[in-house]
Amino acid sequence: MASTACFVIVSKNDIPIYEAEVGSAPKKEDLAYQHQFILHAALDVVQDLAWSTNAMFLKSVDRFNDLVVSGYVTAGHVRFMLLHDSRSEDGIKSFFQEVHELYIKIFLNPLYLPGSRITSSHFDTKVRALARRYL
Amino acid sequence: MDPLRSYLGRLLLEEVTPVVMVLTTPLAEAACRKSGLSLVDMLSPFSLFKKIDVPVRTASDQPYRLQMFKIRMVYASDVRKQDYEATDERIKPIVSEANESALPDLLSDPPQLEDVLSKPEAELCPLWIRKFNRALMRTLSFSEHETFDHPVACLLVVSSKDTEPISKFVDLFNTNQLPSLLNEGVMDPQILKHYLILHDKQDGPQEIAINILAEMKSTLGLNDCKLLCINSSTEADGVDAEDSWLPYKSYGLHNQEGACWLNMDDLNEIKDFMQDLASNHIIPYMEQKIRVLNQQVATTRKGFRNQIKNLWWRKRDDVPEASNGPMYTFTSIESQIRVLGDYAFMLRDYELALSNYRLLSTDYKLDKAWKRFAGVQEMSGLCYFMLDQSRKDAEYCMDSAFSTYLRIGSSGKRNATRCGLWWAEMLKTKGQYREASSVYYRVSNEEPSLHSAVLLEQAACCYLLSKPPMLRKYGFHLVLAGNSYYVSDQKQHAVRAYRNALFVYKQHPWSYINDHVHFNVGRWYGVLGIFDVAIKHLLEIIACSHQSLTTQNMFLNDFFHFVQSMGKKFDVYKLQLPAINMSSLRVIYEDHRTYASDADVNVSESIWQELEEEMIPSSSVVRTNWLDKSPDLRKYKDSCVCVVGEAVKVRIELRNPLQIPVTVSCISLICQLSSSLDASSAENIVLTKDAGEDISNTRPAISTSEDDGNNFTVSKLDIVLGGSETKSVQLEVTPKVEGILKLLGIRWTLSDLLVGYQYFEFDTKRKTKKGKRGPRRSLSGNLIVIKGLPKLMGCIDHLPTNAFAGDLRLLKLNLRNHSDYAVKNIKMKFSHPRFVIPGDLSEVDLEFPQCLRKHIQSEINTVPTKRTHEGFKGLLFAFPQDIKIQGGATFSWPVWFHAATPGNFSLYTSLYYEMESPSDITYRTLRMHYNIEVFPSLDVSFAIKMCSSKLKEYIVRMDVLNRTPSESFGLHQLSCNDNKWAISTLPLCDSISSVETVSANQAISSFFKIKDLGANSCKEAEDSCRSDMLLSCEGGTEEFDVSRSPITDFHCQERYQQGRLAKGPCDLLDFILISKAVGGNYSKSKQDVQLLSHHVCHCSALDQSPIWWFMEGPRTVTHDFSKSYCEANIQLVIHNSGQHDTSVRIVTFDSLTDKRTTVNLQDSNSNQGGWYDVSLENDIKAISTAKGTHYQKQPSDSISPYVWSSLSCAQVDLKPDTSAKVPLKACIFMPGTYNFSNYQLHWKVHSSEVGQVDENERTGGGQGHPFYVTVLQDAQ
Repeated sequence: MASTACFVIVSKNDIPIYEAEVGSAPKKEDLAYQHQFILHAALDVVQDLAWSTNAMFLKSVDRFNDLVVSGYVTAGHVRFMLLHDSRSEDGIKSFFQEVHELYIKIFLNPLYLPGSRITSSHFDTKVRALARRYL
Repeated sequence: MDPLRSYLGRLLLEEVTPVVMVLTTPLAEAACRKSGLSLVDMLSPFSLFKKIDVPVRTASDQPYRLQMFKIRMVYASDVRKQDYEATDERIKPIVSEANESALPDLLSDPPQLEDVLSKPEAELCPLWIRKFNRALMRTLSFSEHETFDHPVACLLVVSSKDTEPISKFVDLFNTNQLPSLLNEGVMDPQILKHYLILHDKQDGPQEIAINILAEMKSTLGLNDCKLLCINSSTEADGVDAEDSWLPYKSYGLHNQEGACWLNMDDLNEIKDFMQDLASNHIIPYMEQKIRVLNQQVATTRKGFRNQIKNLWWRKRDDVPEASNGPMYTFTSIESQIRVLGDYAFMLRDYELALSNYRLLSTDYKLDKAWKRFAGVQEMSGLCYFMLDQSRKDAEYCMDSAFSTYLRIGSSGKRNATRCGLWWAEMLKTKGQYREASSVYYRVSNEEPSLHSAVLLEQAACCYLLSKPPMLRKYGFHLVLAGNSYYVSDQKQHAVRAYRNALFVYKQHPWSYINDHVHFNVGRWYGVLGIFDVAIKHLLEIIACSHQSLTTQNMFLNDFFHFVQSMGKKFDVYKLQLPAINMSSLRVIYEDHRTYASDADVNVSESIWQELEEEMIPSSSVVRTNWLDKSPDLRKYKDSCVCVVGEAVKVRIELRNPLQIPVTVSCISLICQLSSSLDASSAENIVLTKDAGEDISNTRPAISTSEDDGNNFTVSKLDIVLGGSETKSVQLEVTPKVEGILKLLGIRWTLSDLLVGYQYFEFDTKRKTKKGKRGPRRSLSGNLIVIKGLPKLMGCIDHLPTNAFAGDLRLLKLNLRNHSDYAVKNIKMKFSHPRFVIPGDLSEVDLEFPQCLRKHIQSEINTVPTKRTHEGFKGLLFAFPQDIKIQGGATFSWPVWFHAATPGNFSLYTSLYYEMESPSDITYRTLRMHYNIEVFPSLDVSFAIKMCSSKLKEYIVRMDVLNRTPSESFGLHQLSCNDNKWAISTLPLCDSISSVETVSANQAISSFFKIKDLGANSCKEAEDSCRSDMLLSCEGGTEEFDVSRSPITDFHCQERYQQGRLAKGPCDLLDFILISKAVGGNYSKSKQDVQLLSHHVCHCSALDQSPIWWFMEGPRTVTHDFSKSYCEANIQLVIHNSGQHDTSVRIVTFDSLTDKRTTVNLQDSNSNQGGWYDVSLENDIKAISTAKGTHYQKQPSDSISPYVWSSLSCAQVDLKPDTSAKVPLKACIFMPGTYNFSNYQLHWKVHSSEVGQVDENERTGGGQGHPFYVTVLQDAQ
C-alpha cells in the first residue's frame, strides 16, 4: 500500500464531492491542504487530456516533486483524481474502475442529487477497502 | 519571429559581449570621483552602440555589417569568479526594492479573472523580475569553463597628474596585480592593450597631457594611445548639466552626489573615444583572432586525418586523467576552439560558433568534462535559437546542458539555473509557455528560497499565458511562490502572490485550499500592519468547522489578535461566527392572541383555533372592523399586529461551528420603528426592500439599527456557545409608540471585540406557500404597532407535570391584568375536560380534601351538579358576567384536576376576554399549554356475577393491582354511582377487603355483594346498605361524597370516555374507588394528602340475562315415610328485569340427562337411602377427583330419587319488571338431601320493535339453580 495517497472525486463543476486520505502514512493537517493544491492544479492537465483520448483512465497526468497524480474521467465528466507515490499503474487502473462502479451505484440512488457531496459511509468504507487492496 | 528581436535575443546581445578589462591608477580614479562616478561608470553608458554599422569579416570571405554592439567595461579587480553568497546579497535588494512599489497595490482589491487575462505579458512579468533574472545570470560571470567573459582587451588608464605616466602604464599591467584567472592560465594574458591618459582640466592646461600623449605614442605604440579630457565644466553642476545627461540617463548613468563637472564636450569626447575603441580596435582584433584561431583549428582538428588522430590521441591521454576532467589552459586546443566559438558568437557569426561548439562538445564528452560539455551544449542551443533553425535541436541542447549541469552536483546548480532561464525564455519566445513554466519550476528547485520564489512566480505567469490559460496551475504556483517569499522574509511579495491567486480559488469550495490561502493572506497583511484587509480575509475562515481543534484555535487567535490591534470595535456584515440559522427564525408577537409562556407559541395554530372555535367571534368580522378605522394602514393588511408596550419576540438559532467555545454578547435585534406620521417614508423603505434583497445586503447602514430609546427598546443577551453547540436565543423588542415596526436583522458582539450583524431574509414566496401555518409565524419583518391594550397574564398554580393516575387536586387559576384597563366577559375552555374542570367561586377558599367529605347538612347534598350531561367533547366555561378584572388586579379561580388515565397529555387552555374600553382589538385570548405525564397507579377491575339465590343481587370481585414500583396506596372508599345500588359485605365478613393498603406491585382481590335497591327503595335501606362503602377503618368518618362536584363531574367525563370504548350495551353500574397515597417517595415529597379516585364505569355482569329465577320453599322437610311418600311444595320465582315482555317456559324432567346433577346425587358412600354426603367446601377438589374415579360405576339407568309431580311444563308471560311464582311439587320417597335442579327455563322476548334486540338476547335459557332440600324421617 502506498504511504501517501489522496483520493478525490471532483464533480463536473470542479467541486470536490468526495475526499479521502487513503494512504498508510499518518494524516497530517498541513499535508491536507498541500494535497488539495496539487490535485486542484492537476485539474488543468486533466481538462486537456480528457479530450485527447477515448480511454477513461488517463494514467498519470501530473506530478509534483515525487508525488504523482493519476486521473480517471467518467462519461459525465466527473473526475477521479488520485495523488500517490506508488508506481503500480495497473493497480490504480483497477482501483479507478471499481470506484467507478461504486460511484454509479451512488448515482443510481434516487435520493442522491448529482453533483452533491457523497456522504454515504458505505461508499467511504468500500473505497478505503479498495485502496487497501489495489494501492 | 526574428530571434534577434525577441527578448532572449536582445538579452544575449547585451549579455554575451566582449569584456574590456579596465586598469586605473588611483589619481585617474580620483579625477572621475569628482563627478561622483567611477571610471567604469563613466564609460559604461557609452559602451552600447545602437547603430555602430561596422563591416565584419570572420572566417568566411563574405563580410557582413554589425548594427548593435556592446562592450562590457569591467575593473580588473572584478575579473574573478563570483562568491555565491556575496552575489545573493546583491540580488536581494532588487527584490526588496520592488516591495515598496507593490505596497499601494496591496491596499486595492485583489485582481479578478478578467483583469488578469486582459493584462499584457509585460505587466505580468514586471521589469524587476527581468532585472532579477539578469542579476542571477551575472553571478556566473568569469567562470573558468566559459570564455565569453574573458577580457578581449585591456584599457589602461593613467592620470596626467601621475608622475612618470609611462612607467605607470607598465606597472599597471604588472602580472602581480592582474586577476588570478589570467595568472592561472585560464585566460589568455596576451590581449589587446589600449592606453588612455586621463586629463582633469581643473588640474591644469591640456598641454601637459598632450605632451605625455606624444611620449606614450612613441613608446607604447602609435594607435593604442588616447587622451581623454574630463571635468571641463567651469562650475559644479552647470546650468546645462541636467539636459546634457538626459540622453544618457537610460543607460543607467546616475549622478548621485549632485556635483558634476562633466559638460557636453566631455561627454562627446567620451563617446567618440568609446566608438573608436570598439570599432577600430576591439572588433578588428576579434576578427583577426577568429581568423587565426580558425586557421589553427582547421589545421589541427578539421579533416578526416585530424579526427582520427584526435580520437587516438585522446584515448591515450584520457587514461591518467582524473574524473574531474583535464585542466584545460588557454593554450589547449579545446580552450582555443571555445574562444573561437565565443568570439564568433559575440560577433554574431552563429554558424561558425555552432560548428566549433559541436566540435568541442564531442571532445568534452570524450574527456568526461561534463561542466564544459554542458557549457558548450548551452551555447550551441543558443546558437540554434539565434539561427532560428531547428527548434528541436535547440531544445535538445538546452535539455542536455540543463540535466548535465544538474548531474554534476552543487557546483553546476547555478549554471543550471542560468541555462534554465535561457531555455525558458527560448520556449516563451516560441510560445511554449507550458514547457517554459515547467523549466522554471525545475530551476526553482535548485535555488534558495528567495530565488525560487521569483522563479515560481514566473512559472505561474507562464501558466497564465499559455493557451488556454491554466488558471489552477497559475494559482498553485503563485501559492508556492508566496510561500517561498514568506520563507525568505519578503512579506509584501508573499501577500501579492497569494492575492493574485485568490480569484482562482474563490468560487470552488476546496475547503483546505481556501483556508490556507485566506489564512496566510490575512496573517501576512496583519504582519504588514494592514489590519482591515487582514481581518477581511480571516473572516472568511474563522468558521472552519472541518479543521482540527488546533487549527481552529490558531485561526481564531490570530483573528482576535488583529482585531485587537485595530484598536476599535467595528461592524462586520454576515459575520460567520456564530452561524445563524435563518430558517429557524420565528417572530413571536401577540395581537389578540396572547400566550402564557413562550413554549406555548410552538403549539400549532390549528389546535388553538379548534379549541377557540365556539368561544371567539368570527375573526374576519373583527379584523375588518378595526382595520376600517385606520385606512392608512390598509396596505399593511397582511402585516401582523403588535401592541405598544408588549414585547415582540424573535427566536433564532445560533450555532458555533467551531470546537472552541466562543462568547457572544449583546445579541440584539436591529429594528426600525417609523411612527404613523412618517408612514410615507416608511413606505419608501418598504418598497426599496421589496425591490431587491440585495439592497439590504449591501446596505451597511447601522444608523437605523441603533437602539432608538424613544421609539422602542431592545433586549440584550449574552451567551457562551460551547464547541459545536447550538443554542436558540430569544430576543425582544418592545415598541413604545404606534407605527410600523420593522425587524431588520440581528447584531451581536463576538468576544467583546467586534460586532457582527446580519439582516433577516424574509422570503415572500415562502409566505404564500406556508400560509396555512397561520399568520403567527410572520415571514415579513413588518409589524403594525397599535396602541396599548389590556393584557391578562395567567397560569394554573401547582399544576403537576407528572402525577399518578387518579390523582385528584384542587388547583388555582391565577390571572393578572397588567394594564390600566379592565377586562370583562371572561370565558375559558379546556382541551381535556377529563383532566381539568373549572370549579365554583365558592370553592376558592375551601380546604382540600375536606371539602369533599359528606356533610350532614342536607342543602349541600342537594346541590345539583351544574354540568352533568352536556357535551363532553369540550367544556366552555363562562365566568359570571359580573366578574371584571380591573387594571393591575389579580384574580383567582379554582380549578379541579384529575389525572384520568396514564400517558402523556398536552393540556391546552384558552381564556377569552373582552376589553372594557373600546379599542382596536375588541377581544384577546390567553393561551396556556401544559404537558402532563400521568403514571399508572392502581388498576381496578370488577367482575360481577348474578347471585343465584337472591333476586337483584350480584356477587362482585374487585381486583386491585398496584402498578407503581414504590408507592403504597390505602384503599379508602368504594362507591357506586347511583344510590339505587347498595354495597354490602359478604355474610360473615366485616369488611370487603382483607387489606387496607396495597403496597407496590401488590395485587389483591376482594369479594362483596351489591344489591339493586331500585329507584324507590333507596331511602328505606339507608343505614344498612349504602352505595358507599368505607374500606379503611381508621378514617371511618371521612367519607367522601361522590355525588357532588367535582367527583361527579369527573365521573361523567369518565363515563363518557369509557363508554366510547365499552362494547356491550348492558352496563349495570359504575364504581368509584377512592384511595390515598400512604407511603413511598411520591407521597413523602408532597406534603398534602394525595387523593386518588379511580372510576370504573359500565361494569356489567358476566352472565347477564333479563330473567332471574330461584326456588323458594322449605329447606328442611320432616316426613314420615312409612305412611306415604313425601310431597315437597316449592315455588319457582321468576322475575323479568328486562325492558320487554317475555314469555318463560319452565320444563321439569325426571330423568338425569344432565351429568352434573347425577354427580351430586350419586356418591360412592351414599347408601340406598339417598343420603348425600355433604362434604366440606374445602374438599371440593377431593370431590371432583372422586367424581372422576367413581363415574364409571355409576349405573347408566339410574333412577331419579325424586319425581316432579305437579307439571312437566309451564309457560308464564311476564311484563317488564314483574315477578311470577310458579308452584312446583316433587315427590320424595325416602329421606335424604335432594337437589331440585332438574328443570330448565326457556324464555323468549316479545319485542315491539324487531331488530332492536339481537337474536341472542331475544331467546335464552338456563339450567335450574341448585336448591337443596333435606328430607328427614319423622321420628313420630
